[in-house]
Amino acid sequence: MKPTPVRSSALDAASTRPARISISPPQGYWRLAWRSRHGDQSVLLERRAVTVNASLLGAFLLASVLYLSLGSVNVAPMGVLHALFGKADMMANFVVQELRLPRLAAAACTGAAFALAGILMQTLARNRLATPGIIGIDNGATAFAVASIVGIGVSIAPPAMALAGATTAAVLTFGLAAGSGTQGYRFIVAGIGVGAVFGAVTQLLLARVAIDTANAAYPWTVGSLNARPSGALQLLMFGLVLGLITALMLARSLTLLRFKDATASGLGVNVKRRRLEVLLLSVALTGLAVAVAGPVGMVGLIGPEIARSLSSSRGVPITAATLAGALVMVLADLAGRTLLAPIEIPVGIVTAVVGGPWLLWILMRPQRSFT
Amino acid sequence: MLFLLTALVAVSLVSLLIGAGSVGPGRAMALLSGSQDSEAHFIVWELRAPRTLIGIVVGMALGVAGALLQAVARNPLAEPGLLGVSAGAAFAVALALVLGASAATLRISVAQLGALMGCVCVLSVARFRGVGNDPIRLVLAGAAFSGLLASLTSLILLYDQRAADEIRFWVIGSLAGRRLDDLLSVLPSMLVASIIVLLIARPLAALALGERVASGLGHHPNLIRWLVVACVALLVGAATAIAGPIAFVGLVVPFVARAFAGPDIRRTLWFCLPIGPLMVLSADIVSRVVVAPSELPLGVLTALCGAPVLIAVVRARRLPML
Repeated sequence: MKPTPVRSSALDAASTRPARISISPPQGYWRLAWRSRHGDQSVLLERRAVTVNASLLGAFLLASVLYLSLGSVNVAPMGVLHALFGKADMMANFVVQELRLPRLAAAACTGAAFALAGILMQTLARNRLATPGIIGIDNGATAFAVASIVGIGVSIAPPAMALAGATTAAVLTFGLAAGSGTQGYRFIVAGIGVGAVFGAVTQLLLARVAIDTANAAYPWTVGSLNARPSGALQLLMFGLVLGLITALMLARSLTLLRFKDATASGLGVNVKRRRLEVLLLSVALTGLAVAVAGPVGMVGLIGPEIARSLSSSRGVPITAATLAGALVMVLADLAGRTLLAPIEIPVGIVTAVVGGPWLLWILMRPQRSFT
Repeated sequence: MLFLLTALVAVSLVSLLIGAGSVGPGRAMALLSGSQDSEAHFIVWELRAPRTLIGIVVGMALGVAGALLQAVARNPLAEPGLLGVSAGAAFAVALALVLGASAATLRISVAQLGALMGCVCVLSVARFRGVGNDPIRLVLAGAAFSGLLASLTSLILLYDQRAADEIRFWVIGSLAGRRLDDLLSVLPSMLVASIIVLLIARPLAALALGERVASGLGHHPNLIRWLVVACVALLVGAATAIAGPIAFVGLVVPFVARAFAGPDIRRTLWFCLPIGPLMVLSADIVSRVVVAPSELPLGVLTALCGAPVLIAVVRARRLPML
């Protein structure tokens, strides 16, 4: 868990001076210094970011243990740790390793991907409501993926189709909003319209197939971790790691993209190119995550909101948002599995019930600047 | 107007003639011109005729309710389906079913109560700290509210299998399989709503000029608003009780009606009467034909035509303030 070296000022990676002069770091920062072939190197770490990331990681690990231990068969938390290494009894080993661990991985990865996509899109559009779920990208990916599942004769893998759908929806939303910019509420409502069209298309596709296929696809259309297409999770993990690394590399530009275009390009950001990269990254993450769990709404909104409220406003809290998304998703699926047991609530419904009031609260708050 | 009425008659006729089953336009036409065909007789008069009538009533109710809500919220995007009024009705019905109610007549009053709650919630949001000044923000709040209620409804349906079986085909919004009795049981409340609309049309037109002008002309703005809210709740609750939640009709119909009628709310309301059924019936006919021999939920088709209108209104450079 290495916090971003990005929130630093001009001081970081600073000195190539021959003589070592100790500079005390600015208020609220830690300075990591080391000596290398090229001279003295140093990196500034924001203390608050380190604490936030560490505590989110701790909360996530705690939630994971709970997730593995609770369910129709309860395994004691210590038993979970034993079972993870195959040292508990056979039942516990099987439940933890074969049933719950893959699902935990799916929950954590989808949550992380949705939240990362969310914070990228929000920063890109300079609009804290512009998460892929709200502006219709989730629905586009779902419509295409459902098409590949129920499709007649076409057997393209759902992840590929979900990617295509996410791209289509993103192109539509941004294209339709081109005149009015992305910063206001108009952009969001145009996105809601696009989402409604794709939602209807999904229903249309489901109505054309036999009732059994449609029933099998239903939990997946509201967002559920029950019907995970094989192979999609590995693809998502790969994409998530790659995406997180790319996002961290883009972090400095992201911080600057929050300003006006003129300011950002004056500070040396190739605005158009960075925008396109960030957009592609966000869309790809959304598509891959939808291919695993369907359109789980609101995680892309809640994760970044939590991260932003904990972090300082100096940079874009990328890792914190990713961790918070994974945490939210794991907790939501845990609640969905256990609250009404033996009935299982699809995780998409849990997040919608929790996230809806949150969204209303954001909307009714006195207006502040976005992002 | 004459053109619209002719179109409505034509669409009703088509709705009698075309279906998903084996009785095609030819056989139905022969029946209407006097042949003896018992199967066709049953399908046309027992299935399609009630369905067409219900479509007409639902279309009128949703269209008028949309126009009223838009006038009172002064917002061209205010739509019962988008703002969570239909979702409120559906949620109330699901809740009532879980709590043990199942009578058909009870469902209507419960739906109307739920619609009223939805209306009041959304309009109080609209008065909340300047949300109402921004039409698009109100729609966003409504969409969030609507989504919340929809997920709560599906939560209830997951929890109670009996309720789910009872209303599974109702909760997606469709005209299929509704009986004439359902229509008869909502007629009284529709009648009450129409009388109120006739009474408040004039004050409502005055209200469009602004609150102070309206009270200067001797009307009571708050009273009018509450009456309109009551009307919308009665109409949307009744329509939802028969056909399930159907979105976007209340957006598209007044939008088209205003194009015909101009800014006067009284003329707009009259034009909504034929245009609403036109939209609902055409959508219903298409829903029977597209995936024959099965059928499509009506809400899917209204969303397919409604969402582009929503986007077009939002894209307009200056939102028309009503």
